[in-house]
Amino acid sequence: MEEVDKILIRSLRLSGTDIPDEVQSVREFTTELIVEAVVRCLQVINPSVGAGLSHILPPGMSARFRIGISLAQACQDLGYQGEVGYQTFLYSSEPEIRRLLLFLVEKLPRDASEDAAQPVGKSTALHRAIATTIKEQLAVPWVPPTCRTPRLQLLQGSCLLKQFQARPLVLPRESDPSIGKMPPERKEFFVQFLPPVSAQLSRPACFAPSLLEQNMADLCTDQDWENEWKNQGLGSRMTPEEYRQWKHQRLQHRLLDQLRQAAPQAGPAPQGGTARDLTQFLGTFGAGQERMGALDKGSRFTHTQHLAFKQEAEPTAQIHTLPVSRTSEEELQERQAAEVEILESELGRLVGQIEEIEGQLATLGLTLTQVEGEVRQRQLGVTELEQTLRVKGRTVELLPDAENNMAKLQVVVESSAQRIIQLAAQWEKHRVPLIQEFRELKALHDSKELESSQRLLEIRELHERIRSAADEAKRKDDLYKQLLLELESLPKDVSRSAYTQRILEIVSNICKQKEEITKILSDTKELQKEINGLTGKLDRTFAVTDELIFKDAKRDEAVRKAYKYLAALHESCSQLIQTIEDTGTILREIRDLEEQIESETSKKTLNNLEKILNDYRALKQENTALLGRARET
Amino acid sequence: MKRLEKLPAEETLKFLHQVVDGVCGRAYPRYQDYNTVWNLTEWMEVLEQVATYFKSTVGKNLSDEEALQQLSELSADSQRVIVTCLKGRKPDIRHALIQRTDAISSARLQDFDWQLKLALSSDKLSVLQMPLLNLDLDVSEDGDPKQLSVEMNKEELQNLLSALEAANKVVLQLK
Repeated sequence: MEEVDKILIRSLRLSGTDIPDEVQSVREFTTELIVEAVVRCLQVINPSVGAGLSHILPPGMSARFRIGISLAQACQDLGYQGEVGYQTFLYSSEPEIRRLLLFLVEKLPRDASEDAAQPVGKSTALHRAIATTIKEQLAVPWVPPTCRTPRLQLLQGSCLLKQFQARPLVLPRESDPSIGKMPPERKEFFVQFLPPVSAQLSRPACFAPSLLEQNMADLCTDQDWENEWKNQGLGSRMTPEEYRQWKHQRLQHRLLDQLRQAAPQAGPAPQGGTARDLTQFLGTFGAGQERMGALDKGSRFTHTQHLAFKQEAEPTAQIHTLPVSRTSEEELQERQAAEVEILESELGRLVGQIEEIEGQLATLGLTLTQVEGEVRQRQLGVTELEQTLRVKGRTVELLPDAENNMAKLQVVVESSAQRIIQLAAQWEKHRVPLIQEFRELKALHDSKELESSQRLLEIRELHERIRSAADEAKRKDDLYKQLLLELESLPKDVSRSAYTQRILEIVSNICKQKEEITKILSDTKELQKEINGLTGKLDRTFAVTDELIFKDAKRDEAVRKAYKYLAALHESCSQLIQTIEDTGTILREIRDLEEQIESETSKKTLNNLEKILNDYRALKQENTALLGRARET
Repeated sequence: MKRLEKLPAEETLKFLHQVVDGVCGRAYPRYQDYNTVWNLTEWMEVLEQVATYFKSTVGKNLSDEEALQQLSELSADSQRVIVTCLKGRKPDIRHALIQRTDAISSARLQDFDWQLKLALSSDKLSVLQMPLLNLDLDVSEDGDPKQLSVEMNKEELQNLLSALEAANKVVLQLK
């Protein structure tokens, strides 16, 4: 019990109870201490319940009584199974109090007292550090800029604020899936000319953001690719390169479609290549913007577009500049107006002509296609007519010698029918193995398809497993590190090893005791068996003897006497046995009673009774005092 | 391009790489390093021509032979050096060109930055404790960088995030 009490007292101290050092076991707990311990435990377990309770025992008896009742109620609310009432706290008995305290200590939230000391994961440590730093900084009052000390300037000034601006970085890579294999020239560039990442940027402030951004982008690309490959790429049954190419093409197509849809005003697409189509679209997009010049070398499209503009613009400029150099301003204006008019009228005329001709062209084209269709139909009719003509001519030729020719024709027809049958048979001969082969191949193909889909499933499963295994490994690694940290920071407590040793000892003791108990049990059983056997034997022997003597008793007087003695002997023996058994039960009862007496004495009944009497008297006094006061008022 | 041969052969490659660096958005070579070789006009011309050559060759995706054809006026040594540089830097130039084509729209988000702030009090309340997010958007409008700064509370930030997520969904559908 001492060990249990030590643990109990330690836990109670952790929960905030102020237990004096000289108290070593539950037996030495005073009523005040018990109440304080229980209240502290309740406060930790359930703050809302514990808030209403005071841990200091009041002097008044009725108040004490009320506290005892509320404590008992709280314990029962927590789920305490044993008997509990105000008497448990006020007139305590050692085993009951120990049981109650053990229950409460078990209910204590385990982390509350220990968590603060325990080391935690890196991220939580970081969070805590950040929180403490922020708290510290918030505690410092704000000071106007001119009054700041250098340290405050660093803390409250804006000198640490830097813009997050990322610039592209070039990193040497062995290979890139979007480019393919690396040519040796690039390797040479990496080795000889590429400055280290930190020297690639003109402004050192950009360095950290650029690096972060680059890493972030790489990570995102990797993850995206992995996701996509697992979801769609594997199902397509292509190698990664093929899949990439396929996707690239598909994207281009879609892009083109989108652009076409977005620009219906650009007119119907000419038959030429898609590049020209795009150029046209881009031309409409940037036609009005001179600023596009800034982008002119940006892409192939804008480049060609720019070139096209230049070529168009130059000749007109020349036409305009020629007359300007020769004539004066007025003349020039007049001439220009006249010219403009003439040109406009001509332009109108030309446009009209063009439109007219276009209309004609359209109608002519339509007629042409119609006529072509007609011609084709006519040609078909002509060949048909020629066919009929040939048949009819032949018939006319054969008409004079009709009988003979009929017979001949019959023969020819029959022979051709024969041949057809033969051919059919031959065809059938060829066809059957071919069909067989076809079916076999089809079956093979099906089975292969099935197999490949199964493989695909397997691969997916494997991927899943790889990922989960990796996750688990990571998690376990983290856990391992954390546990290692924890282990290092754990106090190398002697008591712990002592406890474990003690527990082991107790366990071995219990084992020993168990063995002894089983031994005694088996002994008892054996004894019982022996007793039973002996009783049976006795009974049988008595019956046989009884019978034998009873037979002879009729004839012989002495035997009759012997029979009588036998009966008396038997009776007294059974009486003896009965008495022995009775003695045993009485002895047992005595032992039970002794135990009961011991337990009763351990409950300090006398003490408690005296206490109860005292309290009763105190209560009575209080009551009379109250009554007196009531009467006075 | 012919002026490029004024440069000593061993320096040409370095110079070319620096020009490509400039094309890719880093620092162009500096004139004071080369003012003994070219005068200012020559320098401008050489720089412009070399840069244009690289951009057009990569932009049109010309093959090696076609790229060489444009350099027919140069000596074999210079041609070799230029082609070496071109092969080595092709991915970088291509990436830079794609970036620039990508930025064809009139205004484009280049970067963003955010700061979390805690408003401790306001003119009406002595204790406010309201978290605020300050979002800085670096927008380049027709090539001029411009900074937009937005301050948002929690709900506004949530709105912005949901709008951006919806936009991302549309982009994903396009893929």
